Amino acid sequence: MRNLIPLAVRALTMVGVFFVVLLLLVLTLGLTGFSDRILSSVVGEQIRVERTTLAETIRDPDELERVLAARKAELESFYGLDIPWQRRLPASVFRVMRLDLGEARSLRSFAGSSRIADIVLERLPNTILLMTTSTVIVALTGLAGGLYVATRPGSWIDRLVSGLAAVTYAIPTWWIGILLILVVSVHWRLLPSGGMYSTPPPEGGWLRFADLARHAVLPVLSMVLVSVGPYMYAVRTITLNIAQEDFVGMARARGLSETRVRNAHILRVAAPPIVTGLIFGLAGSLSGSILIETVFNWQGMGRLYYDALAGTPDEGVIVALTFMFTLMYVAIRLLLETLYIFLDPRVSYAD
Amino acid sequence: MRVRQIRDALLKTPVGLLGLLSLAAQVVLSVWVVVSYPDDFGNRVWSNPIHWVDNPKAAPPTWIGRVDNQPRADHWQTVRGEPETVEEKGRNLIASWNIPYIVEEGAVPAFLALTVRDVRFEERAPLLALTLIRPDETRVSVLRHAVRGPREGEEGPYERHFDAPLRIQLSADESTLSSLQEFLAEEYGLQMDAEEIRPRVMDILFGMPDAAGDGFAPMSGEYTFLFQTATRVEGDGIGSVELVAGGDAFGRMGTDSIGRDLAQGLLYGLPTALVIGVVVALLSTSIGTVLGMASGYLGGAADTVIQRLSDIVANIPVLPLLIFLLFIIGPNLTVIIGILIAFSWPGLAIQVRVMVLHMRSSQLIEAVQSLGSSRWRVMYRHILPQIMPYFLAQIIFTAPSAILAEAGLSFLGLGDPSIPTWGQILEAGFRTGGVYVGYWWWIVPPGLLIVLVASTFMLLSLAIEPVVNPRLRQTRRAD
Repeated sequence: MRNLIPLAVRALTMVGVFFVVLLLLVLTLGLTGFSDRILSSVVGEQIRVERTTLAETIRDPDELERVLAARKAELESFYGLDIPWQRRLPASVFRVMRLDLGEARSLRSFAGSSRIADIVLERLPNTILLMTTSTVIVALTGLAGGLYVATRPGSWIDRLVSGLAAVTYAIPTWWIGILLILVVSVHWRLLPSGGMYSTPPPEGGWLRFADLARHAVLPVLSMVLVSVGPYMYAVRTITLNIAQEDFVGMARARGLSETRVRNAHILRVAAPPIVTGLIFGLAGSLSGSILIETVFNWQGMGRLYYDALAGTPDEGVIVALTFMFTLMYVAIRLLLETLYIFLDPRVSYAD
Repeated sequence: MRVRQIRDALLKTPVGLLGLLSLAAQVVLSVWVVVSYPDDFGNRVWSNPIHWVDNPKAAPPTWIGRVDNQPRADHWQTVRGEPETVEEKGRNLIASWNIPYIVEEGAVPAFLALTVRDVRFEERAPLLALTLIRPDETRVSVLRHAVRGPREGEEGPYERHFDAPLRIQLSADESTLSSLQEFLAEEYGLQMDAEEIRPRVMDILFGMPDAAGDGFAPMSGEYTFLFQTATRVEGDGIGSVELVAGGDAFGRMGTDSIGRDLAQGLLYGLPTALVIGVVVALLSTSIGTVLGMASGYLGGAADTVIQRLSDIVANIPVLPLLIFLLFIIGPNLTVIIGILIAFSWPGLAIQVRVMVLHMRSSQLIEAVQSLGSSRWRVMYRHILPQIMPYFLAQIIFTAPSAILAEAGLSFLGLGDPSIPTWGQILEAGFRTGGVYVGYWWWIVPPGLLIVLVASTFMLLSLAIEPVVNPRLRQTRRAD
């Protein structure tokens, strides 16, 4: 189990990432006075609510004001507004971690709640759905395509893949999405230009699923289009490099079939770096999904960013989203790195 | 590997040469843009709707007419100063301007606007009148307007419309509506109410009732706008009169929904994109190199701290944090560049450290050290020159991702409003729904330009790839 130590180091790095981001969030909020403003508005909102209820029992206006002022001081000390933000820091970190950022200004969850935690958590599955679907498609087509191309180095299809890989580095994912809308949905009227379901959504499980799938085609396609080229190219290069090694030649010399050489010898060695490529592509696909959700009005956390930024910005929602994205990223990275250890026990992180 | 090899790779391969030429052309164009555009173009011109008020809204580029052969009115704009004739009529002086205007077959203009500037008078305010003389000699009185007379307590000579010109959108003006109502009744015996006329003012002005009787057929030919002012004394009058007939197409790149000339914005985006790419690449690469060298050469606690930090920063999901920081600090190009730099250095710091570790154990370095060279001298004279090629290569790799990252942020509405970029033009086209009504000229060119500039850098890096370690290609994308 010597691999557990390097794994622990990786895990610590990811936990480090998590806390550095959290600290950066809280420091930025504190230094710019944003946190004070958020909390003051939370207190102000609560006082406004209590004023209406208290006004029914307390008739004397002076008495009412006195009670409310006391209540306000109580709330301010509860939220720590009476002490400087530096000393409030631990509490702030904790609050962000619980997504306890109060109420959203104008955004609502689909169920109608204005609690930021409700809104963000409701969007989480939609983001995961979009990201997983496109990542799985990229991984499968990239793997199959890359392996195929590796058997024909120097052919036109090989050059095409290399060219595609280079070109897609220069193309913004979201612009591809917009072009697809312009051509496929506006010009040809083939697929919906955005959203997740038709209005009204069709009844019945299968119809509903088909509707969702129809809406997912373009966003998934845009994400696949920009990621599949580089991934295919990486798979091809890794496989080709290994295919030139001596032990592969040895296997062939022993008279093993080409399929067996590929599956048992080349692929087994190639698997870990191929998975690493996928892990490193994750950050890119996370960013890509934020912008793609925006373009296609996909009701995930990425689109929520856009909604929270438009008009009167909703700062609580933005803090929560940044935190959630980091959390999601760190969690997936940890999961993949653990899988990676078991994929090929010979490979350790210590090199 | 030497810097010279990189130079050869760029100058002696077709790919490298193509990349260099493309970059050189972009730099020359950028210099021209920076020199010829007004300072503060963003705030004073681009984001100022008044500047674009006379342009047609959401008009495609003019060359589209050669592609689809549909009749489209050209954008037409003319300014006149001195009147052509001045005659005395009773107690008034009538000054006249005859402005010819040609309507091509089927190409009725989109709107009509009159702008009068610098009105001056001694006692009585001038009267302004615009009449349209049509090819069939019928005359439409389009406008009669009295300039605002003396206010209480105001002393002559009076000046009007010096700061803010008098602009009348004739195609939506109430008095034009009522004079058209009269014209239709007298000329064709048609009774139409104002609400029926409102949406078809231009069709009526530049056409006649068609055979079916329910619409207006465009009338092509030579029109004349007769603009007249009636003043009392010599010296009264206007500075200039301007007529605009809005086209169905505009300029080389068309306009957006508030009439901005997209060609201007697209050109202005070029120097901005290059500056973002080059500055972020140069600074982040410098930071990465310096930290990597320090980490590898100093070793010990400094090494551990720098490497842990690089590892963490390299693994932060960049875009969410960029959104958050820009939102809190405020959209400002300097801040965008600063944050992009802050997150782009770790990859190189890790690689440079490995290289330095290799070199440090080389016999040359050990020999130099044993001769008593200082640490800094060794780093500067012996290690840095060997890292230079990687440094140059990394600059080329980082530039396109910085350009794409800024474009992505601008698209989310976090762009610096005082400096228009291609990302911001795309954002405007997306937010106002230009995509869904098919305004391709608003959507396709800015994206293509982003791709063009980014792929120039990709060409350069393809050219030097055989020279530089291909492992360097793991740059990060933040879009």
